Amino acid sequence: MTDLWQQVAPLLAQVERPSRYVDREWGASHRPDAAYRVALMYPDTYEVGMANQALQVLAARLASLADVMCERVFVPWIDMSALMRAESVPLFTLESCAPVAECDLLGITLPHELACTNVLEGLALAGIPLRAIERREQDPLVIGGGPAAHNPEPIAAFFDAILIGDGEDAVLEIVAAHRAARDRGASRAETLRDLATIGGVYVPGLYAPGPDGVLLASEGAPDRVVRRVVRDLDVYASPTCPVVPYADVVHDRASVEVLRGCSRGCRFCQAGMVYRPVRERSAGTIVRDALAALACTGYEEISLTSLSTADHSQLEEVLRRLSRRLEGTATAISVPSIRVDSFSLGIARLLGGGRKGGMTFAPEAGSQRLRDAINKNVTAEELLATVDAAFGAGWRRVKLYFMLGLPTETDEDVAAIGDLVSRVLESARGATPPGERGGVRIAVSVSTFVPKAHTPFQWDGQPSRTEVRRRQALLCAHMPRKGVELSWHDADTSFLEAVIASGDRRIADVVEAAWRAGARFDAWTEQFGLRAWLEAFAECDVDAEALASEPRPEDRALPWEHIDSGLSRAFLAAERRRAESGETTADCTFGDCAGCGVCSSMSLDVVLAGGGRHV
Amino acid sequence: MSEGFRLRVCFRKTGRLRFLSHLELARACERAARRARLPYAVSQGFNPRMRVSFGPALPVGTAGEREYLDLVLTRYLAPEDAHGALTSVTAEEIAPVTCAYVSPGEPSLASALTIAVYDVYVEGGISPEELERSLGALMDAGTLHIEHKGKPKVFDLATALPKEPKVESEGESVLVRMTVRMGEHGSLRPEVLVSAAAGRDARLEVNRTDLLIEDEGVWRRPL
Repeated sequence: MTDLWQQVAPLLAQVERPSRYVDREWGASHRPDAAYRVALMYPDTYEVGMANQALQVLAARLASLADVMCERVFVPWIDMSALMRAESVPLFTLESCAPVAECDLLGITLPHELACTNVLEGLALAGIPLRAIERREQDPLVIGGGPAAHNPEPIAAFFDAILIGDGEDAVLEIVAAHRAARDRGASRAETLRDLATIGGVYVPGLYAPGPDGVLLASEGAPDRVVRRVVRDLDVYASPTCPVVPYADVVHDRASVEVLRGCSRGCRFCQAGMVYRPVRERSAGTIVRDALAALACTGYEEISLTSLSTADHSQLEEVLRRLSRRLEGTATAISVPSIRVDSFSLGIARLLGGGRKGGMTFAPEAGSQRLRDAINKNVTAEELLATVDAAFGAGWRRVKLYFMLGLPTETDEDVAAIGDLVSRVLESARGATPPGERGGVRIAVSVSTFVPKAHTPFQWDGQPSRTEVRRRQALLCAHMPRKGVELSWHDADTSFLEAVIASGDRRIADVVEAAWRAGARFDAWTEQFGLRAWLEAFAECDVDAEALASEPRPEDRALPWEHIDSGLSRAFLAAERRRAESGETTADCTFGDCAGCGVCSSMSLDVVLAGGGRHV
Repeated sequence: MSEGFRLRVCFRKTGRLRFLSHLELARACERAARRARLPYAVSQGFNPRMRVSFGPALPVGTAGEREYLDLVLTRYLAPEDAHGALTSVTAEEIAPVTCAYVSPGEPSLASALTIAVYDVYVEGGISPEELERSLGALMDAGTLHIEHKGKPKVFDLATALPKEPKVESEGESVLVRMTVRMGEHGSLRPEVLVSAAAGRDARLEVNRTDLLIEDEGVWRRPL
């Protein structure tokens, strides 16, 4: 492989944060003689991408294959990419500093809709043709996967294949199939047909739109691509020796995934739908992997991650065992995404140790009516009791997440957010000793509803940008000032997310046009500009406003009809009806099966750490 | 708080890891101490931290051959064992060079280390003779006026440079060897002086080869 270091090094004196590009971190693995070379790219900067656990999992899985090399790739920041273009330095992998184009496979994770222009930026810098159809025999296979793959169409044209669902086993099968095809001298087209037979693998080139717009499979490819699901997480060790960055990355800590999936059933939440069923790892393996990760990496913090860690049935035991083992080592334990209703003060105390940073809750809506409509099964009283307990125990800061523009939202619901924040503030101050009340802070972060594929709200529209801004102003007017830090997502950004999240194949042209007009790093506020996108919509004759805002008739095919997440259409439609009538649906982890269809259609079941369901 | 055992570690920052910032390097050293399972001491209070302190920071891009940190241990560990343990868990480019215990009463590295020795490699066509001449002219002028973060700053070269810089020919490039006295109010960055002499287009590579303690006019290494 070509070593580009001599060309890269002179550029580093001229860029911000050069440590992004130098490799040599602890845990980085070098296998120069490997017979098969994989580059795993996160379509954002090093600091953002190094925090991604999925890439760590995939890298650890690939490292188990002795003659396979797996190297990291990130999108260079704009100062670096400008120099690389000026000096004709192609996109390189970190470990070998080798051209990405020399790898056999380029895996790209798709974390969210706004990363799509960065996918093109990466491909272009690598010198790989942007569209699968233009690629030559010698180009790497470009394979995507991740959360934003659940509606793959807006970016499908740029990928040879896209994995839907869990990658633990699929990544090994993909590599094996590619190597076997290569060994027998198969063409690129033949290789892709082989890949299409692997469970969860979608090969966009093998699908073409039929008369009603539904994508139809050509021979050999499945009519519907069924999401890949690993049955039991405990079978896979959590990555214990991930690369330890020098740079200050987003989540600069060791982490162990304690459970996957969440079946609380918030109706707007894609992750809560498409990662079902809940699969817990047992307390023993969590503690084992957490300690091993700390020993191997030297991190000063271990994070117990999942969509909803406080829901883990053995969390208290895990925290007790970990804090005992870590005593005196100045190591922190953190639990992101704590939920109001499953929070206990015991857990807070175990977590807090010495440090009392912030605590985050997501009531999502201000009124009980709207919380019921979105199936956020939490009451204002529960939230206030939790805040009271937390501030009584010494916390001085809490962050609350809300969402504007949810289906059925009225002006009363918007105003109710302000009222709820006032009550939280009151409760927090009441639980704080008088002398310290000045330090009480409530951070309120307000996002905008984005309709997502495979959710009960997939047929709903997002309010127009003008309407979103009106509601933001309304909210601002109802929000207490003192002690509250209010922030919200930009309406333009959320609009673009909505267009891409519910878009079809036509959006690929828009993404390419926007990227050609200079759009990239769209998730970075200071880099984002809607103008390039609006021009791209016009150029490609796409009515973006209609795509984002107009409800989709339930009797019409959706752009993701050929992606089978396991959820039944009837369940999603019924949940939408229940939202309209304000009926809630209980979490199947705790109660009866809600009939979402995942377990029955895929022969799966909820996995709890202690065995059995805790009814 | 108990005094503990103060282990002084001399380490390097070389190769491509010269691009680390001081903060990045410090964090890397702390994590290495954890990986090495050294019996490190922890501060008291709400936010307990490893008791470690560093010598003067190196800028991003500047290499160092003998950099220092002091780490407090809760029990005695043979220095060669600590050295071995750290070496086995650290990238070669920032590996430890040597380590030994110092007395708990010893002044901190940050205040004790006042002399820094540098090699500055200059590329960009300037000859050793030309560079020597223009450096000499600067030295004769006695002061160097620069702008640092938008503010004008003046260095008295006789104070900042306790020894005359030496210019040598080194293969394709020119090498300036210089010794800088670090003051409380900032110290002269060698690249500032050399680029003032060699011109803005010259490409420089800076390597801090030594850090010294000045003790009653005598210079010595901290280990």
